[in-house]
Amino acid sequence: MSSASEPKILELRRVSFSYSRQRPLIRELSFSVGEGEFIGLLGANGSGKSTVLKLASGILKPSGGDILLWSKPLRTYHNRDRAKLISYLPQTLDIAVPFTIRELVGMGLYPYDIPPAMSVDSALEMVGLQGEASAYLTDLSGGEKRRTFIAMTLVQGAGLLLLDEPLANLDIKYQIELVRLLKTLRDEKNISIVMALHDINMALQFSKVILVKDGAILGVGSPAEVLTDALIKDAFDVRVNIMRQTDGSSYIHYGDNA
Amino acid sequence: MRSMKLKIVIIVCIPVLVFGLSLVAGPKMINPFSADDISREILFSIRAPRSLVALLMGMALGASGAVLQGILKNPLADPYILGISSGASLAAALGFMAGAVFLGTFTIPLLAFIGALITGSIVGIMGWKRGGLWPERLLLAGVGLSFLFSALLMLFMSISNDEGLRRAMLWIFGDLSMSEWSKIPYGMIFVGVGILLSLSRAKALNALILGDEFAHSLGFSPHRERFILFVSVGLLTAASVSLGGMIGFIGLLVPHIIRFFIGSDSRLLIPCSALIGGALLCVADIISKSVLPPMELPAGIVTAIIGSPYFLYLLRRKNVLSI
Repeated sequence: MSSASEPKILELRRVSFSYSRQRPLIRELSFSVGEGEFIGLLGANGSGKSTVLKLASGILKPSGGDILLWSKPLRTYHNRDRAKLISYLPQTLDIAVPFTIRELVGMGLYPYDIPPAMSVDSALEMVGLQGEASAYLTDLSGGEKRRTFIAMTLVQGAGLLLLDEPLANLDIKYQIELVRLLKTLRDEKNISIVMALHDINMALQFSKVILVKDGAILGVGSPAEVLTDALIKDAFDVRVNIMRQTDGSSYIHYGDNA
Repeated sequence: MRSMKLKIVIIVCIPVLVFGLSLVAGPKMINPFSADDISREILFSIRAPRSLVALLMGMALGASGAVLQGILKNPLADPYILGISSGASLAAALGFMAGAVFLGTFTIPLLAFIGALITGSIVGIMGWKRGGLWPERLLLAGVGLSFLFSALLMLFMSISNDEGLRRAMLWIFGDLSMSEWSKIPYGMIFVGVGILLSLSRAKALNALILGDEFAHSLGFSPHRERFILFVSVGLLTAASVSLGGMIGFIGLLVPHIIRFFIGSDSRLLIPCSALIGGALLCVADIISKSVLPPMELPAGIVTAIIGSPYFLYLLRRKNVLSI
């Protein structure tokens, strides 16, 4: 759990973005990411989740507001220095790339002249792919492919992972595996994670949730604070019931939307 | 790992051996250790520069093919797809027709080089949008210009009955017989600079193959890297066309053959494609001048005839991936 006194890795202050002046995609959006936070970014299709992650990673430049990385404007970082602090994985991974797992994971070393502590082999071991180093990406299952790219970000050594819908197109088994892996990384390496996702039930397990609609924030906070019937109705335009269990956990029941 | 080192040693040795063979073999076998004056003259004034030109051209084509397939993310890309060679051919043909001789034997190579650079710049300008080069735009601009220039070339050919133009045509389809020592230094400079430039950006090329967003996340500026790589391809293609016209096959298929053996890491793919590209053209040249002396077959035809079946065999045998 984070508090205001903890150091902020990334801070977005009233960030706006648009391709054309008529249609702003992101409107005065503010949030911050602290060390070791595991944040779920939720919102309907087209709400701006991917755009937020691209702004936070520096791929897109904001048309207004500030983005601070370790209290310094993100745009002032040299590309290679930024790559040592933030790693971004896009939503669609081009799985037909011709590289072996070892070659791909080794690309995490590119921002460095002197290799950092984490070797390719230990990264593969952390994600459970130690036996697959010489396989090609196309030979792996969907879950293994995602884990390969996570291993690449581990080698890259960034303390902040920005993941755009990493659970999309994965079986429920691989979804659970991946979230468990990310939580282990958070616990063992103090890596902060911001990930866009669609599954509200999955988001209930995160330490912090950001709910966006039309490029603006509807709510930031713990799942209990943000994922309320009213806010979910506003964000997704569906009626749901949050069912609270006696053990403190909760789940979403999709109500009558007929 | 050990087998990879062995493969690389073999790949480095092949062009050296082939170059040696190209000095000895030809319409007449020459033993360099017991050569008479005439044979020695043939060896040093004809065969050596010709083999060096073949090596340089093949190296430029192999390396630029490997780079171009990466930046365009297209396994069918070859150095001629960007229209650079068509521009070079058009400039050279116009030079032949005008009977331009202002720089002696350097006139046509220089015209071709200028034509290639101008065309490369036009393709670059057409492929530029929103602060960078976009692979699809580059490809389409290149193909479009290529058609235009080829059509203009055909037009000039059909309205002219100039003997010069016939010579131009022969040269365009790959002619190494005009090779001489004077072309070697500038060929070496441009091919050397082009290969070193692309090698220095090999990591970025790997990242670009994964996608622009990955490249950004790994600390590269995708548009800047693509631009530098495009410049290296332009230099290599211009240099190779001006050295001896257009030779097919090497730029397209040699990088694929190398991928079968050493994988797709550009840091190895670029130099290995260059070395094998050079060796292949050298072998093709030996064959082209030896099978039906005194007639010479165009080297481009020989590269395709010996290379394509081998490529198809590999395609069948190996577990191939894309670029």
